[in-house]
Amino acid sequence: MGLKAYINDIVEAVVTTAKGMRITARYGVDPREEVTLQYPEERWEIPERYRGFLHNDIRKCISCSMCVKVCPVDCISLESVRGADKKPVLVSYDINIGRCMYCGLCVEVCPVKSLKHTSGYEKASTDRGELILHFIAEDAAEVKARVARQVAEAAKAAEAAKAAEASKPADVSSDLSSVAAKAAKEEAAKPPVGEPKAAKAEAADLSSEAGKATVAEPKTAKEEEKKP
Amino acid sequence: MEALAISLVKAAPALGAAPLWAVTLLLMLASAGIILVFALTFEGVGSLVLRKVAGDIQARIGPNRVGPNGILQFLADGVKLVLKEDIIPAQADRFLFQLAPYFVFVGSFAAFVVVPFGVGLIAADLNIGIYYVMAITSLVVVGVLLAGWSSNNKWALLGGMRAAAQIVSYEIPVGMALLPAVLIAGSLSLQDIVRSQGGLLGIFGWNLFHNPFSFFSFFLYFTAAQAETNQTPFDLPEAESELVSGYNVEYSGIRFGLFFLAEFGDMFIVAALSTACFLGGWQVPFFNAAALPAVWGNLLSLGVFLAKAFTMVLVMMWVRWTLPRLRVDQLMRMSWKYMVPLTFVNLLGVSLWLLVFRGKGIPAMIASLFG
Repeated sequence: MGLKAYINDIVEAVVTTAKGMRITARYGVDPREEVTLQYPEERWEIPERYRGFLHNDIRKCISCSMCVKVCPVDCISLESVRGADKKPVLVSYDINIGRCMYCGLCVEVCPVKSLKHTSGYEKASTDRGELILHFIAEDAAEVKARVARQVAEAAKAAEAAKAAEASKPADVSSDLSSVAAKAAKEEAAKPPVGEPKAAKAEAADLSSEAGKATVAEPKTAKEEEKKP
Repeated sequence: MEALAISLVKAAPALGAAPLWAVTLLLMLASAGIILVFALTFEGVGSLVLRKVAGDIQARIGPNRVGPNGILQFLADGVKLVLKEDIIPAQADRFLFQLAPYFVFVGSFAAFVVVPFGVGLIAADLNIGIYYVMAITSLVVVGVLLAGWSSNNKWALLGGMRAAAQIVSYEIPVGMALLPAVLIAGSLSLQDIVRSQGGLLGIFGWNLFHNPFSFFSFFLYFTAAQAETNQTPFDLPEAESELVSGYNVEYSGIRFGLFFLAEFGDMFIVAALSTACFLGGWQVPFFNAAALPAVWGNLLSLGVFLAKAFTMVLVMMWVRWTLPRLRVDQLMRMSWKYMVPLTFVNLLGVSLWLLVFRGKGIPAMIASLFG
């Protein structure tokens, strides 16, 4: 290495150091350069199509179980039974967001668009059980029992109607059958179910309004279904 | 110290009953305590300022949770360090492991003894002050090497080895870069060096502006001293990203705290020495602080000295958050191929200058032109 290269090295070191120092000095004295977001107090704006926690609007859900089939990590579990009108009734719909990988396939596949990504992303818990979102607040066994009862009642009503039709002349029969059906309906509406318990914390946490809806809706939906 | 004790006994005859050595010892302990408190305070506040400066430079905020704007962060850190468990690894050499932090801390703290804080504010005005600083800070190498060796940890050992190589290499340029100030003052005592930079020339009386060679040797000293005290960008012994934390990786609690304190102590020593040797020390520009009554003179000169030294500390922090770390071979090349020859050339240049111009600096010559 010649003397020229040697001196060039020294000059280059000094010049580049000075350059770097000037840049950091500019950042150091300029308070507007701070980009830190004080997270719990301030938050980022969530992008429009952000894939947060999943939420299923069970008023719309038709229990088709497409989401369950498509989920690559099996984080959705769904159980349904056949209701009085032969349509499936949701018994339980759970999403394990601890397992969910937010791929969005279930949302894409949902035929009635009841399953959606919300903007929620904050969920810390000391218990993995808390990471399972229950979208039906009632106990599965209770729902099953209720639906079974309704099915049985509907069957009984149908039988009674049939019997009445058989025993009475045709002109009265229609009148009677309608009365029987009415009775059956009232029976069903008088909730044998008991008021569903308040929405579980998870559901409320996710979206309090939707959480309440999950409590109120299943009953009315089922009552409507029960109308002959 | 003994002279101070004699004058104290003269001022307060009640003390005369006690033997002179007892008064002297008491004074020594008192000054050691004052300096220790100063060093600890500096290290505490320094760590906070360091993090705030880091935040500013890196376009973020820095600590802002403890107390208003985070100003109590250093107290929280200190309490945390003291309360943490002091872990000694099972396979470590217990005795050496426990001894090492004290070497490092003493090596850095003992250098405070000869720092000229003010006109008369110096714990011991040794006539070999600079030599003493060079010698006592070498104790740090022993401590760092001990820490690395006794931890029985590969990273720690690598860090310790690097520290030893680095400190030994950079001691030469540090010493050579300080010598111009010694040559100009004609004394190794730091107080004499500071006094030689006074006079009516103001800041142009400083050794920094004495002649071109002393100007360069300030920067050479500052660079080499940062390397000698393992400051970033020369923090190879610590090198978080490659050695985890280097020689102190196995230390926890207050033992780690001692390493930490020593690092900040070194920082202040470098700042204080560069201030004393090149930036006029406690000399107030265009004003003779030594002529004031003792109390005011000392206070004024202390303030000026600390202002200069803290500015240098800020510059060190600025450098620290700007430059990336060197590689080991780059570090050694920089020392042996660049710093050592340059400092020798500088020393030669200053010697010749003093010989040719009979000890006069450029500002003094310009001043003599105008009478």
